[in-house]
Amino acid sequence: MSDMPARAAITGAAPLPLREPMIEIEGLHKHFGALHVLRGIDLSVAVGEVVCIIGPSGSGKSTLLRCINHLEIAEQGRIRIDGQLAYRDEIGGAFRAHSNRAISAVRAQVGMVFQHFNLFPHLTVMGNLIEAPVHVLRKPKALARQRALELLAQVGLADKADAYPEELSGGQQQRVAIARALAMDPKAMLFDEVTSALDPELVAEVLTVMRDLAGQGMTMMVVTHEMNFARQVGSRVIFMDHGLIVEEDTPARIFGAPREQRTRDFLRTVLDR
Amino acid sequence: MEIFNLDIAVANFGPLLAGLLMTVELTLVVIVLSLVFALFVALGGMSQFAPLRWLVKVYVEAIRGTPLLLQLIYVYYVLPEIGIRLDSFTAGVIALTLNYSAYLSEVYRAGIQAIARGQHDAAAALGMTGPLAMRRIILPQAIRIVIPTLGNYFIGLFKDTALCSVVSIQEVVFTAQILAARNFQYFTLYTVVGVMYFSVSFPAARFVAYLERITSRGYRRKPIAVKQP
Repeated sequence: MSDMPARAAITGAAPLPLREPMIEIEGLHKHFGALHVLRGIDLSVAVGEVVCIIGPSGSGKSTLLRCINHLEIAEQGRIRIDGQLAYRDEIGGAFRAHSNRAISAVRAQVGMVFQHFNLFPHLTVMGNLIEAPVHVLRKPKALARQRALELLAQVGLADKADAYPEELSGGQQQRVAIARALAMDPKAMLFDEVTSALDPELVAEVLTVMRDLAGQGMTMMVVTHEMNFARQVGSRVIFMDHGLIVEEDTPARIFGAPREQRTRDFLRTVLDR
Repeated sequence: MEIFNLDIAVANFGPLLAGLLMTVELTLVVIVLSLVFALFVALGGMSQFAPLRWLVKVYVEAIRGTPLLLQLIYVYYVLPEIGIRLDSFTAGVIALTLNYSAYLSEVYRAGIQAIARGQHDAAAALGMTGPLAMRRIILPQAIRIVIPTLGNYFIGLFKDTALCSVVSIQEVVFTAQILAARNFQYFTLYTVVGVMYFSVSFPAARFVAYLERITSRGYRRKPIAVKQP
């Protein structure tokens, strides 16, 4: 885990999770009422891997991400994060839910960035970044502020620490949201269509931040409609449809020569825009 | 027909002003108590513990379904029969607080429910527990939303304290009743009382309107405009 290869070496390599898995998902099922949203998902994401999830809307991509940090509760299956069983303990073959506190502890290890940013509007940018480190991780305020300034510099917003979210553009808000998630020093990051609500000219600045993050070896799961991002940054691309993983492969093969007809159909509709 | 008697007004101004101060004091005490109590009622009403939710529901509906006047009389005159004897001020404070908290808890609830789900998601995704997220993320935003509504309720409260005259709190209406029983100068005395109420509640209403403007303005701290020389 310590001798992590550089990102460049990984990109384009065979999707064999030879390294230690960071996120392991087995047989995940989720219903919304009568709708069977996830119909048995098995997926393993290795340390430092960038897994991009593509697929039509309603295919369960976002729900999958939300299940990983328990914003949605899957009925069946299990999720391990860094080897630890998340959300449920297996005791004598039966599952028992973690306490709320334990669930919060797991969530604190996995950063999440949302489509609509969800910054806290009553706090400044700095307030947004230090809120959870101070009140969840019990980090001293001075230390949290110092780390926050580093992260703001990393996302190119060093001068915005005292601004309120609504004073920022959408792209800036989303970069703050990424910095806010990073402030928890997460083991992995989940990105849920983070550029979908942005004006086209603001998409690039957010993708650049994500690309840098991938370059630093962050484990990432990225639900996205940005096919170029998936192609260039993804170490693996997953195509989901109707609650199932239809196909997973390297970006080169998914975009170059998809095996499944459904993948081909989907890619034709999104790439011919 | 009586005419406004300035001498009577001046002569009774002192006692009436003392009554007004009692009215204001009563209002302020009930504001503070009900602001806090109503918040707990609102949170109790949203608890995952069902019996607590039911209890809150029964309380809120019982209060909203009966007149405040009856509630005041009940606390002051009926409770002594089961051994709870309260002085008039305490009885007034308790009845008003119970009454206003029922309404204000609904205001808080509406404010809390107005906060977008994304805020809960974001707080949860950062590892915040429910109570922490409520205290640090949801409530500060919800309270800001409901400040003008709370303000309007408190202006109503200021005037509703007049009902406390029935439990013989020496507030301004009760004071006027006593004075009028002696000199029969109803027109003068009650006009002065009316002017006194108005001279407090009108500025208060303007202040609430001002709060309404600044709370709807968003979280931007407007830079102070500097005049160019």
